[in-house]
Amino acid sequence: MSRRLRAALIAVAATAVGCFVWSGRPWSAPYLPFFVSTAVIGLAFLAAGIAAWQRWPASRLGLLFSVVGYAYLVPYTIINLPGSFAFTIANLTENVSGAALAHLALAWPSGRLRSRFERRVVIAEYAWNLGITGVSMLAWNPSFSGCNASCPANLLLIRSSRSVWDGINAASIPGSLALTGIVLALIVRHWRSARGWSRRVMTPLLWISVAVIAESSAKDILSNLNLGISNSFFFNGIAPLVVLAGPALVIADTVRVRSARGALGTAVVDLEPGASPGRLRDALARALGDSTLQLAFRLPDGSGYLDTSGQAVEVARPGPGRAVTPVADAGVAVLVHDAGLEHEPQLVRMTAAAAGLALEHSRLQAEVQAQLEQVRASRARIVEAGDAERRRLERDLHDGAQQRLVTLSLALGMARDRASGADPELEALIESAGKEAREALTELRELARGIHPAVLTETGLTGAIQALVERSPVATTITAVPDERFPAAIEATAYFVVCEALANVAKHARAGGAQLSIRRLPGRLVVEVSDDGTGGARPDGGSGLRGLADRVASVGGVLRVDSPPGGGTRLEADLPCP
Amino acid sequence: MSVSPGSAAPAGAPLRVVIAEDTVLLREGLRRVLTDAGLDVAGTAGDAAELISLVAALRPDVVLADIRMPPTQTTEGLQAALEIRRRWPGTAVIVLSQHVETEHLFELLADEPRGIGYVLKERVAEIAQFTDAIRRVAAGESVIDPQIVSRLVARPRRDSPLGGLSERELAVLALMAEGRSNHAIAAALYMSPKTVETHVGNMFSKLGLLPAAEDHRRVLAVLTYLRR
Repeated sequence: MSRRLRAALIAVAATAVGCFVWSGRPWSAPYLPFFVSTAVIGLAFLAAGIAAWQRWPASRLGLLFSVVGYAYLVPYTIINLPGSFAFTIANLTENVSGAALAHLALAWPSGRLRSRFERRVVIAEYAWNLGITGVSMLAWNPSFSGCNASCPANLLLIRSSRSVWDGINAASIPGSLALTGIVLALIVRHWRSARGWSRRVMTPLLWISVAVIAESSAKDILSNLNLGISNSFFFNGIAPLVVLAGPALVIADTVRVRSARGALGTAVVDLEPGASPGRLRDALARALGDSTLQLAFRLPDGSGYLDTSGQAVEVARPGPGRAVTPVADAGVAVLVHDAGLEHEPQLVRMTAAAAGLALEHSRLQAEVQAQLEQVRASRARIVEAGDAERRRLERDLHDGAQQRLVTLSLALGMARDRASGADPELEALIESAGKEAREALTELRELARGIHPAVLTETGLTGAIQALVERSPVATTITAVPDERFPAAIEATAYFVVCEALANVAKHARAGGAQLSIRRLPGRLVVEVSDDGTGGARPDGGSGLRGLADRVASVGGVLRVDSPPGGGTRLEADLPCP
Repeated sequence: MSVSPGSAAPAGAPLRVVIAEDTVLLREGLRRVLTDAGLDVAGTAGDAAELISLVAALRPDVVLADIRMPPTQTTEGLQAALEIRRRWPGTAVIVLSQHVETEHLFELLADEPRGIGYVLKERVAEIAQFTDAIRRVAAGESVIDPQIVSRLVARPRRDSPLGGLSERELAVLALMAEGRSNHAIAAALYMSPKTVETHVGNMFSKLGLLPAAEDHRRVLAVLTYLRR
C-alpha cells in the first residue's frame, strides 16, 4: 500500500468521524435525512477512490472519486463549525458535488478528459455552480431555508430579499439544464464510440448518469415550483442515493477483475493439451472480458501477422480503439485488444503471460509429439529392417545350402544305384551318407522356416496361419482369418503374435485346446488367441509376452493379455491397418 | 532351353518329361537320373517362362517343376504348373517344393487333382520312388509327399472321429491321402484288396465322408478332412 493511499485512508477516517460528530448537533427534522444520505454518499465515493487508486495507481480516477466524496462531505461538515465564515463557505460550495460528478463521468474510465472542449465544459460546470450559488447568496437570508436565529450569518449577504433569491434560482435553471444536457450528450457520444471492453464499462456509467441527472434536475425544478415535495423524506433522504451506483460500479468492477485474474488461470489450465489457438483465444477473451480480442501469430517469413480465423492483422497500425500487447519476447504472437484495456495494464500483462505459457506448452507438446513420432518411426524401421534381413537369410538358405544338399542327395542316390550289387559295404555307406543329407535338409528347412516363413510372403496370413496350426502340438481351431493381403509389417506382426501365442500355449498353458481368430475391423486388424489352460500368464513375465508387446507396439498396435489363474489365457493384439 | 533331338513320341514310346529347375547341377543330375531310368527327358528349362514355351512346343507327358524359380524366387513353378494344367489339361505335373506347408498343395489340387504330384524336393534322391511317382502321375494318379501326409495325420485333435480309428485304418487313411489306389494300398500293407475296401468303407462312414469312386477325388476329400 502506497504512502499516498495510507494518507488518503487516514483523511477519510478523520473526515468521517468529524462529519458524524458534528452532525450530532440539533437540526430541524427535515434536514436530518439529507445529512445522513450525503454522508453515506461521500463516504462511498471516498471508498471507491481508494479502490480506484489501488487498482489504477497511474490514473486520476482515484483522485476524481475522492474529489466527489469531499465535495459531498466538506460542506456538511464545516457547516457545523462555529462562526460565519465556515457557514458561508459551506453554503457556497454546497453544489460543487454536481460539477465534480460531471467531471468524473466525462473522465471515465481513463481518468482523463478526452478533449479541450470537454475540459472547457468541466470548467464551466465548476464556475456555473459556484457562480450561481454565490450570486444567489447575495440576497439569501439563512431563515429562507428554515434556519432560525441560531444560524451564523451569511457573510455574502447584501440585501435580504426572498423574491430576488427565488428569482435568481429560477433563472439559473435553464443554464443548469443546458450544461447538464451537454454533459449527457458527451457521455452518450463516449458510449456510442466505445467497442468491446470500453463499451462494457461505459454502459453502466451511461445509465447511472441518466438516473443521477434525472434525479437532480427533477429536484431543482420541483424546489423552484415551491410545491413542498422537494423537502420530502424521499427527495432528501432516498433519491440522492442513486448516485451510489457510481462507487458501487468501481467496487464491483474491482471484484470482477480480481475474479477475471482467477478466471485467466482457470482458462489456461482448463485448456486441454494441444487445444487449437482459436480455443485459446476464446478462453483469453472470456477471462479478459473483451470479445474483440484477437490472438495474432507472426507469419514464418516475417511478412505480417494472421489472427486465429486466418485474417491478416496490421500489428503496426491496429486501427482506432485497438491496442497491441506482445505475447512472447520473440514477437511470435501478439494480443490485439480494446485500447480501453490499457487502463488495466496488469490484467493485460497477465493475459499475455498466460497466452505465452499456453503457447509454449503447446509448442513443447508438439515437440514431444514429434520426437515420439520419430522414435516410433525408427522403431518400425528397425523391425522392418530385421524382417527384411530374415527374408534375405531364408532365401539365401533356400537358394544356397538347401539346393546344394538336394543336389548332393541326388548324387548320392545315383552313386548308391551304381554301387548296388557290386559292393554291398559301399552301398550301405552311401546309403547312410544320403540319409544324413536328408536329415540335414529337414533340419535346414525347419531352421529356414523359423527365420522367416516363406509361405507368409507368398500366400499371406491364410496359408501361414494354417501352417502354424498344422504344426501346433495343441489342438487349435481357426475361427476366422481374412483372405486378403495386408502391409508386410502388419502380416509379419500378426504371424509373430500367433506363433508366440501358440508356442506359449504348448509350453506353459497345459491346455487341451486353443482357438484363434484374425478379424478385419475398420482401420485395424485384431488377432486373438485363447486357450483353456491354467492361465496366470503375466505380461511382464518371462513367457515372451514382453517381446510380443514390443513387437506389436512397433507397428503402433496394442497387446492385451487376460489370464486369470485357472481361467485360461486370452491374448489380443489390436493392430492398426489401413 | 535345351531340346533333345528326335523327341517326337511314337505310341508305346518312353514317357516324355520336361524339367524346370534353376540350379544347373541339380537340373542336369535329374536329366541323367531320369534318362537312366528309361524316361525321355525332352527338354529342360531354367525358369517359368521358358518352361511354358517348352511345353507349348513339345507337349510332354509329364512336367517336373521346382516351385521357386527366377525371377522372384517365390511360387513361379506353382503358377506355371497351374497355367499348364489350364492350357493343356492332359499334361501331368509334379511340383517340387521345399515347404511342408499345405497352402500351395491345396492351391495346386483345387481344380483337378488328377495327374498332380506335390513332393518335397529331397525325394529326388530316392530315385526308384521318384521315377515311380512320375509314372503314377502320368497314369492319372495323384502323388502327395508322405511326410506332408503323416504330419497332417499326426496333428493333435480334440473330439475327432480320427481318434476312434485303429492303427491299421490310420495307415490306410494315410496311403489314401498320398494318392494310392486300393490296389497299391493292399500291396503296401500286405492286405487283400477286399480288406482294404472294407477298411475304406468303414472309415468313410466313421468320418462322415461321402465315398468317392475315383482315387484322385478321394485324395482331395481325405486331405481336406485332415487339414481342417
